[in-house]
Amino acid sequence: MPLCLMENIRKTFHTGAIDVEVLKNINLRLERSEFVAIMGTSGSGKTTLMNIIGCLDTPTSGRYVLADKEVSHLSDDELSVIRNEHIGFVFQNFYLLPYATVLENVLLPTLYIEKQKDNREQQAVDLLQLVGLKERIRFKPNQLSGGEQQRVAIARALVNDPDLLLADEPTGQLDSKTAEEIMNLLREMNTRGKTVLVITHDQNVAAYAQRTVQIKDGTIIE
Amino acid sequence: MDRLLKIISQSLKAVKAFKLRTLFCILSVALGIASISVIVAATEGAYKKALEIVAMFGPDALLVFGGGEEARATGQRMKTITLDDIETARQAFFSAYLVVPMTAMRDVTVSHRDKKYQTLIVGSTSDYSRAWTWPVVQGSDFTEEDVKGLRNVGLIGQFLARELFGDIDPVGKYVLVRRIPVQIVGVLSERGTTPAGDRLDDRMIIPITTLMRKLQNETTYVSGLRIRFYDQKNLDFHAEEVRAFLRGRHRIPEGEPDDFTIISPKEIIKFLVALTGSLVVFLGVTGVISLVIAGFVLANLFLLSVRERTREIGIRRAAGARKRDILFQFLGEAVVITTLGGIFGLALALLSSKLLMYIAQFPIYFSWKAFAVGMILSWIVGIGFGLQPANRAANLKPIEAIRG
Repeated sequence: MPLCLMENIRKTFHTGAIDVEVLKNINLRLERSEFVAIMGTSGSGKTTLMNIIGCLDTPTSGRYVLADKEVSHLSDDELSVIRNEHIGFVFQNFYLLPYATVLENVLLPTLYIEKQKDNREQQAVDLLQLVGLKERIRFKPNQLSGGEQQRVAIARALVNDPDLLLADEPTGQLDSKTAEEIMNLLREMNTRGKTVLVITHDQNVAAYAQRTVQIKDGTIIE
Repeated sequence: MDRLLKIISQSLKAVKAFKLRTLFCILSVALGIASISVIVAATEGAYKKALEIVAMFGPDALLVFGGGEEARATGQRMKTITLDDIETARQAFFSAYLVVPMTAMRDVTVSHRDKKYQTLIVGSTSDYSRAWTWPVVQGSDFTEEDVKGLRNVGLIGQFLARELFGDIDPVGKYVLVRRIPVQIVGVLSERGTTPAGDRLDDRMIIPITTLMRKLQNETTYVSGLRIRFYDQKNLDFHAEEVRAFLRGRHRIPEGEPDDFTIISPKEIIKFLVALTGSLVVFLGVTGVISLVIAGFVLANLFLLSVRERTREIGIRRAAGARKRDILFQFLGEAVVITTLGGIFGLALALLSSKLLMYIAQFPIYFSWKAFAVGMILSWIVGIGFGLQPANRAANLKPIEAIRG
C-alpha cells in the first residue's frame, strides 16, 4: 500500500451564493520514502490540496487513505490524532512560538500524544543536534536567523516520528544560500527514510524532489 | 491526566510570557476579591463581636429602664420604676437568681486633690459586680451593710482611676463626689468601650441608697434594674413575664405602650447588625461590582489575546492539539491568573482590614471562610469569564487559524 492514496478528491468552497470548486477530481499516490514536489502557481489549489493531505481540512468528496487508514470523513478530534501521529508540518514563515525556547518549540507536538512515551526530550535534543542547533536549545526564536528558525521547525516536524513530512514553501522566506541548506536538510531526512512532500512554485526547490506533480486550476496536469 | 498537566504547564508559560495581560487581570481580580473577602471577614467579625458583647452583657440577663421606646435616648429616660417594683420582683421571680436595682447620674464632677473629672455615677447594691460579671480586681466590693448604712464607699473604673490617681493605687483613697467624700474600696476590671464608642471604664459605683439620698434626694424612683435568670434558653419568655409584671404594677391599660424598656441580648445583636450592616452593604455592593468588572476586563483581555495568538492556536492544532486541549489551555491561563489575583486580593484584604480596624474600630475577623470564599470566587470568575474566549480559541478552524 502507498503512504497516501487520493481518489477523485473534490473540494468546493461556498462563498455566499457562489460555489467555487477549488479541487476537481484529484488522484494522487505517494509511496513511502518518496521525495515529491507539488508545483503550481498561486490560485492553482495547491494550498487546499496540502491542507487535505495534511488532514487540516476534509475533502467535499472522494477517498483519501493515509497510512492504511481512510481519513476523508474523520471527526475533528480524530484528524487531530492523525496529524499528531503521522504528519509533520514545515511552514513558509517557520511559525515557532515566540515565547517558548527552541527546545520547547521542538517538544510542542509531544504535548498532544495520546500514549505518552519517555525520552521525548532526548529525542528532541538528538533532532536539534541533527539539524545543527544543539547549542541553541535554550534560545528564543527571535535570537535565531531565518535559516536556524526553519531548522527548528524541521526538528519540531520530526519529533513525533511522523510518516510524512509536509513542507509548504519551506524556503519562501530565505535567501538562496540558506534555501539550499534547508533543501539539503530535507533531502537528508528523505535519505534517512522519511517521506517528504514539498509544495512550491519554485523550480529550484522542486528540483530536489525525485518526482514533481503539477497542479493547475484544481486538477493535476502531469 | 499526564496530558492535562502538560496542557496546564503550557498555560503557565503563557501566563509568564504575556506579562502585561497577566498584570492587568491580576490587579482587577485582586481588587474584587479583596473587597469581597473583607466583607466576609467583617461579617464574621461583627458576629464574633456581637457574641462577645452579649457575653459581656450576660446571655442570661435582662436590663429594664424606665421610660418607653420613644424616650430611649440615654439621659432622656423617665423614671418610672420604683424600688418597690424591684423588691416585689425579687420575691416574685423564682426563676431569677439576681435582681439588682440601678440608678445612674451622668456628668457628675468628681475630684481628687487638684484633679477633676466628669463621670458617670452608678448607684447599685453589693451585687453590681455579679450582676454584670464585672470582677473587682483591686481592693474589695462594698457590702450589704454599706448599702444599708448609706455609707460613702465606692468602686472605681480603671479609666477614671487613671484620670484621677495616675499610677497610684486608689484603694483607700477619697474622691469628692460633688461635696461628698467617697472612699474607694475597690477597682473594677478593664472593660473597654461599647460598640458606640463609650468608655465603660469611666464610672464609679456607690451604694444606691447613698446616691439616692445624698445626691438625688430621692426615695422612690430608680433608673432601672437588672435581672439574671437561671435558664437563658427561656429568656424571651422571662422578658414577657417581666413585661406583664411591670405593666400590672404600673396599671397600664391594654393598648397603651409600656412606660419602661426591656433590653435583652437579642436587642443588642440587632443594634450591632444595624451598626455594621450599612458598611457591609456598601462594601458588598462595591465588591460585587468590582468583581464583575474584573471579569469583563479578563474576558476582554483574553479575547484580545485569542485574536493575537490565532496563529499559535493554528500551530498547536497542526501539531495535533484537539479542540479541548486548546480550551483547557486558555481556561487554565484564566484560572491561573485569577488564582494569583485571588491570592493578591487576600493579601490586600488583610492589609486594608488592618487599616479599617485602625481607623474605624471596625471588628474584622479573618478565618478560613474569608479565604475559601475569596479563592472560590476567583475560580468562578476565571472559569466564568474565561470560558467564552477559550471556546472561541478552541473553535477556530485550523486552516484559518494558521493563516493568522
